[in-house]
Amino acid sequence: MKTARQTQPRRRALLGAFVLLGVVLGLLGAAPAAAAAPSPAALAPAASAPTASTPSATLAPAAAADLAPAAAAVTPASALAADALDPATAPESIAVWVRSLPSRAGVPGLTVTVTGKGYSQTFTTDADGRVEVGLPAPGDYTVAIDESTIPADLGSLPKGSNPRTVTVQETNKGVPANFLISQAAAGGATTPTPGATTGPARTASPAPSSGGSHGAFWDIFASKIVTGVIYGLLLALASIGVSLIYGTTGLNNFAHGELVTFGALMAYVAGTLLHLPGWIGIIAAIVLGGAYGFVQDTVLWRPLRRRGVGLVPLMIVSIGLALATRYIYAFFFGADRLTIPNDPSPFLVIGPISLRFTDVMGAVLALVVLLLVAFVMLRTRLGKAARAVADNRALAAASGIDVDFVIRCIWIGGGALAGLSGVLIAYYQSLRWDTGSSILLLIFAAVTLGGLGSAFGALVGSLVLSVFMNLATLVIPDNLKYAAALVVMILILLFRPQGILGRRERVG
Amino acid sequence: MSELIAGEPAPGVAKRDPILVADHVTRRFGGLTAVDVEHVEIPAHAITALIGPNGAGKTTFFNLLTGFDKPNTGHWTFRGEQLAGVPAFRVARRGMVRTFQLTKALALLSVIDNMLLGASNRAGENFFAALVPAAWRARDAQLTEKADELLRKFRLDTKRDDYAGSLSGGQRKLLEMARALMSDPALVMLDEPMAGVNPALTQSLLRHILELKEQGMTVLFVEHDMHVVREIADWVVVMAEGSVVAEGSPETVMSDPAVIDAYLGAHHGTDLGTVRGRLEVAEGMESELVRSEVEGEAAGDGR
Amino acid sequence: MNWNFIPLALGEAISPTTAAYALATIGLVVHFGFTGLVNFGQAGFMAVGGYAFAITTLKLDWPFPFAVLATIVASVLFAFVLGIPTLRLRADYLSIVTIAAAEIIRLSVKTAEIYDVTGGSTGLNGAADTFQALNPIPPGNYGIGVLRFTAPDLWTMIVGWALVLLACLLVWALMRSPWGRIVKGIREDEDAVRALGKNVFSYKMQALVLGGVLGGLAGALFILPRSLQPDNYGTQLTFFLYTIMLLGGATTIFGPLLGSAIFWVVLSLSDGLLTLGVDAHVLPISSTQQGPIRFIIVGFALMLLVIFRPQGILGKRIEVFFRA
Repeated sequence: MKTARQTQPRRRALLGAFVLLGVVLGLLGAAPAAAAAPSPAALAPAASAPTASTPSATLAPAAAADLAPAAAAVTPASALAADALDPATAPESIAVWVRSLPSRAGVPGLTVTVTGKGYSQTFTTDADGRVEVGLPAPGDYTVAIDESTIPADLGSLPKGSNPRTVTVQETNKGVPANFLISQAAAGGATTPTPGATTGPARTASPAPSSGGSHGAFWDIFASKIVTGVIYGLLLALASIGVSLIYGTTGLNNFAHGELVTFGALMAYVAGTLLHLPGWIGIIAAIVLGGAYGFVQDTVLWRPLRRRGVGLVPLMIVSIGLALATRYIYAFFFGADRLTIPNDPSPFLVIGPISLRFTDVMGAVLALVVLLLVAFVMLRTRLGKAARAVADNRALAAASGIDVDFVIRCIWIGGGALAGLSGVLIAYYQSLRWDTGSSILLLIFAAVTLGGLGSAFGALVGSLVLSVFMNLATLVIPDNLKYAAALVVMILILLFRPQGILGRRERVG
Repeated sequence: MSELIAGEPAPGVAKRDPILVADHVTRRFGGLTAVDVEHVEIPAHAITALIGPNGAGKTTFFNLLTGFDKPNTGHWTFRGEQLAGVPAFRVARRGMVRTFQLTKALALLSVIDNMLLGASNRAGENFFAALVPAAWRARDAQLTEKADELLRKFRLDTKRDDYAGSLSGGQRKLLEMARALMSDPALVMLDEPMAGVNPALTQSLLRHILELKEQGMTVLFVEHDMHVVREIADWVVVMAEGSVVAEGSPETVMSDPAVIDAYLGAHHGTDLGTVRGRLEVAEGMESELVRSEVEGEAAGDGR
Repeated sequence: MNWNFIPLALGEAISPTTAAYALATIGLVVHFGFTGLVNFGQAGFMAVGGYAFAITTLKLDWPFPFAVLATIVASVLFAFVLGIPTLRLRADYLSIVTIAAAEIIRLSVKTAEIYDVTGGSTGLNGAADTFQALNPIPPGNYGIGVLRFTAPDLWTMIVGWALVLLACLLVWALMRSPWGRIVKGIREDEDAVRALGKNVFSYKMQALVLGGVLGGLAGALFILPRSLQPDNYGTQLTFFLYTIMLLGGATTIFGPLLGSAIFWVVLSLSDGLLTLGVDAHVLPISSTQQGPIRFIIVGFALMLLVIFRPQGILGKRIEVFFRA
């Protein structure tokens, strides 16, 4: 691979530019973020624990409980007195959406009452017919629309769909409570939208159809598939880096989730803090993600490889790095959900499936980038070299491939892909300081499923896992879908460690 | 050395007093057949050398016989007992102890602890009895005495309390052999005992191996160096491409044109060809052990 | 300025929580330091132990000794479930399986469907009642200066540290025996040990069970001074234990004690200092930014330890358990 070596100086210069850009943008981003850090008690240190509520318990699990054991348990009762909770900061929320059937247009100005857990508040739907209601605690809530506020010409709500009981699991935000007002509401065939699903469900929530319960099942099924495929594509972007880094260096990178979060945060800095257009945010995420990958490899991983540090200690270093960076994000960006400007209106509606513009674009972008990755891996010298290194490092080195260069490129590429994945996930679901780390094991599961060390395996594994998880919620509680994915990973490791693609066993 | 055999010298010839008899042993890695041994017998109380070009399947055959790898087909008996499917640690307990091509000194254990691991201390190795020193102290002292004696013999007594990781490559080979002898095995299987040993140590290693025979043990060893084979082996088994292609006394085997061919044939293509070929084997292998050994070998060649 | 936080932070060195972390870390030392099992799911063992103790005490009304027995049995069972399929896997596979198993436990107990048994995501409260009923210490306040302990605090502390010392003694006795020699040999090279006639799988299993039971008991000890909450058993808990282990020395008997004490004293001291700085407006950060700092410290400590002092405080330089 002589050419790879020859192009190195030029590449180096390019990389240098990346890094510089990264530092500048990083400083730009960090400063306002620090100044504007929101104040809610979620990150309160244990010393001030009496105010600590659920978020601090999940954020600082052991710690918060340990240093102030007496204050560990805050009953929901203390939260009941509160007025309407800000849905952005409340750990759980219900997204109410009232539409009119023929046009599927939102109905504004309706009175909605949410009752449960000793909490009761009344809201009014906004111009889109939506209102998001922050909740004091997980549990069952009753959502009631005051039918007298529905304009008579629109019709009425189907019997049995109002009021509605919505089950909210812990940390579920935006649990949908969708209502359709129709002219012919009297027929009881319409089924209420099933409630408890997390984030993506909102984007592809099945609307009640007139086809009876059988049709409703297929509607749900179809929407789960779509949700699963879109999410799988986004997951794949993050998984490829993990898989290739494992393949070329043997490292199980526990800090990869932080690369994902990093990209999303950069997009947040560009889009929300600097008010730049969304596409600049996406490019920033890709470029800075790649730069971050490069810096990480150069400052940390390459020196450690040179020292011949073993794989297990490397794994522990990556854990330390993950912990430190994750909380550095929390330090600068706070513990709350961050939003990147997004247009919530439906862009593409096919039958029961309704997608926003960003959902469609995210999926398309992910697909295009994945094809690009496939092209690079299959057709370019660098890609072939990368596969050779992943296949057999010693042999690749022996045949003249600059292994270190290839590994560096993989870190850059992996970082860029993770960054893109982060920003797309932020658009598709939500963004927080721990968005990436919360999907880390999912990434591992996807990579394992597809076959460790293979880029295509990572893609297939991500898609299969994501669709499986979404379909699994048809039979198991929603909050167990993550556990289900982990069970699948364990089974694969036990019975088919080479992954579902059935590549020959990789023993190294 | 025709007194060892009960018939005409030929591949798979019957021995008068075989300690190990293997039949139809095959091992495939993907499409590649690494071992395909129809029939072979190892004579008791003698030193047998297993030779063959790189990639002939010698180490894989070793791994199969000692339970470190599972064959696709085949069975074999050791002292008349079936051994196929017996896990590696049971094979060792039955008196068939091996060493490894890449030495496996337990680096962060002292030399004497390495030695003590070689023997069995039934009480002390039991979780609950281990908590009662009285149950295992006496046996431990007895074993320590034996270990010290072996260490003196192998000139490792000055290193007794050092970490095994601090030993030189040759000393590790010695330690591994001495450790294997702690259990008084009936058959000692040495995988390239001379590889990486400095020439000054070679002679003493050879002497030790000859001594083992004098003490009534059987030795089976894999070796590349024909001088070594000529010097100590009573019997030579030649493998090529997974099969036994020749057997006989060192003199007859080394003048056998088929053997010379097998060797020359493998060495004709020289470096890169052989490196590639072997790494392909390694990739398909399912035993990490085998792979690391082959790769280590390749890395050694590459330098 | 209030400097009381200094003695209070130093008091952390002997708190029951520190004892629980030390005990769990001793289990981890058995796994990782001595046997070489990369168990990233020690939090799972603690959760299993804690839930077994709390459920048998609160839902089944078992007396204290039986609840402890249940804790041990549950930990042993979890070790078997985890170990039988995975102990033949490579080290990095084992690490992923264990971390996943611990997460599966945490996510499963939170399921609303089994709220009646596990208390869902709110967890269980009051598991210490049967234990405190055995408290022989007369009610009152004990201690020096600002460091005061109530009788239940003191009782938990005494029993906790007694348990820790007992565990140290047990591990010490095992590690100097031929049993310990074998597991240490397995850490170095399991094939070599197999070739010497030892049943490697069985010894790995025994080590997994021993370390797991210590983890399970630590889980029960952990909830004596507080309620049981599933989110306390996230992956971070395991990583805290790794930091403590590497701080003290992964192949030492008393390293976990020292590591745990230093860990908690340092965290409390840094919290105290930060609070002081923030209240006096010396530090340019808000009080909400204080929270993440302790985790940043832990993260960096973990990295720096592995890179620059893998043997920890008590370990010998040569005994670096990491090799290429």
